[in-house]
Amino acid sequence: MKVATILLLGSLTLGASTLPSAKRKNGSLIQDALAPVQVSLQESSAVFYDNEKRENFIYGTVMSADGLLLTKASEIAEVDDFLVRVGKKKYLTSKFLARDDVWDVALLKIEANSLHPVDLGSDSEVELGTWVVSNGASERYFRRPRPGITSAKKREIKGGSPAVLGIQFKSGDGQIEVMGVVDDSGADQAGLEKGDLLLEVDDRTIGDEASLLEYLRVKAPEDKIVLKVKRGDDELRLEVELMARHKLFEGPQDRNEGMSGDISGRRTSFPMILQHDTMLSADSVGGPLFTLDGKFLGMNIAAANRVESFAIPVEELRKVYEKLKASVGLE
Amino acid sequence: MNFWKRSSLLILGASLASAVPPLPFNEKDTPESLDDFRQIQAALQSNLSLARAATVCLQVGESSGTAVIVSEDGLILTAAHVIGGVGVEMKVLMEDGRELDGISLGLNSETDAAMVRLVGPGPYPYVDFDKGDTTKLGDWVFALGHSGGFDKERGINVRVGRLVRESESTVQSDCILIGGDSGGPLFNMRGELIAIHSRVGGSKETSMHVPLREFQKQWEELEQSKFVGEGPFATKSEPGSGFLGLLVEPGGEGELRVVEVWEGSIATEAGIKVGDLILEVAGEPASEESLTGQLDQLGAGDPLKLKWTSGDETKEETLKLGERP
Repeated sequence: MKVATILLLGSLTLGASTLPSAKRKNGSLIQDALAPVQVSLQESSAVFYDNEKRENFIYGTVMSADGLLLTKASEIAEVDDFLVRVGKKKYLTSKFLARDDVWDVALLKIEANSLHPVDLGSDSEVELGTWVVSNGASERYFRRPRPGITSAKKREIKGGSPAVLGIQFKSGDGQIEVMGVVDDSGADQAGLEKGDLLLEVDDRTIGDEASLLEYLRVKAPEDKIVLKVKRGDDELRLEVELMARHKLFEGPQDRNEGMSGDISGRRTSFPMILQHDTMLSADSVGGPLFTLDGKFLGMNIAAANRVESFAIPVEELRKVYEKLKASVGLE
Repeated sequence: MNFWKRSSLLILGASLASAVPPLPFNEKDTPESLDDFRQIQAALQSNLSLARAATVCLQVGESSGTAVIVSEDGLILTAAHVIGGVGVEMKVLMEDGRELDGISLGLNSETDAAMVRLVGPGPYPYVDFDKGDTTKLGDWVFALGHSGGFDKERGINVRVGRLVRESESTVQSDCILIGGDSGGPLFNMRGELIAIHSRVGGSKETSMHVPLREFQKQWEELEQSKFVGEGPFATKSEPGSGFLGLLVEPGGEGELRVVEVWEGSIATEAGIKVGDLILEVAGEPASEESLTGQLDQLGAGDPLKLKWTSGDETKEETLKLGERP
């Protein structure tokens, strides 16, 4: 009799046990219900399409009616031949204007008019647990909304300078000693060796770790710096090309990243981020983040791991945008 | 007989459930307008601050998991694979960084259910659970956890989703989880605890949780620090492999006299010396039978409570058994 009871209960639960995928959080029926916000995504997102691989590889955010766009710098730098779509319209050429390596943001221009830019006068002050909408996937003419909620405190994401020499070192007694050189790094290629003492960087004396890191923090990948090095009794001058940290130390850095699928290469070291739980991947960041009311909160900048997606808050994005524009003489 | 008894319980459960009015957005197949989303958001946010206050990070040795307080005096629910065994001491961190002491009670190694108790008396912030088991397939839920370990700057991670699959011993949601979330709470939109995070499946959107009904089935065993089942989520130590490091002879009535203490053993660490008198073993008056009886059952790493006198002092301590050499 006991066995029969268990079987009966089993069949009762099996009968109504699974929710169809269309009704799940990322399902098509949920997307349909987000139609009013989809309009904002449709108008203010740019889609970057890799002509060689024939796939979308990153999104962008429309900043001005005449075609200024922001996107994720480290991703756009990886593809030479691409086109851009905004709304339903295709733009075969675009011009790269400037990049900011602290925020990993690039400014581009397409020849357009009457686009619908995001509202830079907005703010990102929302309560935890507020619905947000990002680009999930894109069809040629249609941006598909993907929902999530704001999921943790706004904060800095640490992670060292975005551009690195490729050495391990220790500092003390007013000098920096090279303890190891990472294979294939700029330091390796320049011929730096274990035991070298670093005396100067670009003709500036560096006595300790903090001043070296501070100097590197504002440098960009591919920048070159000149090191004055003491090796035994000799003094050498070596030119080192800096590398992007995420390229020198590629791939998952721990078990949680290993179980997170296709996450952003550059996913640490941001001065301030707004975190949400939207399921994003390396190729679905760069676009705008909206509330249900279409309020612009910021630009998605990293799929950090399977539970954490980062956006640059609009207040910060505004400053980065103004700075990038000023750097190329735009008002 | 059994069948009818179970059926009437089910009917009773159903009538209790109908006493609570359902949340309107859970009555719909999917949200029909942005307003439905707003109602979900409002429900989640109104329950978030208490849910977070009761959600804690467990630091067990080198690893870290999540758990939730369910009573004012500090009873905690978590996952068996987070605590690993019965009687394990751990640090319990509140979201604000306050550090408390906890000790694991019982666990079910087949369902992944487990209990922990805070050592201090409280009162602690705590959440209610869905006692009538009213939460159903398709209901909107939210998950909390110390994803990847405690991070004070970030705080607890919140995630939203729906209940997408139900079976008696496991519920599945599409709230995304990661290492460190294990043992954390899944809530319905009334802020009631409905399940504990256990494991993830092949896709990111497949998260498995232990439903509260599995805890309720064995509530007393778990509270009494029983190791239930022989499942994959915790491994019981080998009976008889525990080592105390004492040689004793009968003393007076209900006493054992220590005649030798093994160097480097757990007994030495506890400060037990030759000539001390053991008074109680696991709460029972000390005798050769009670001591060997306990040691035959227990394994390395298991706790054993001893009371003994050393000179003028009487001490009582729970010792964690060593490995038999």
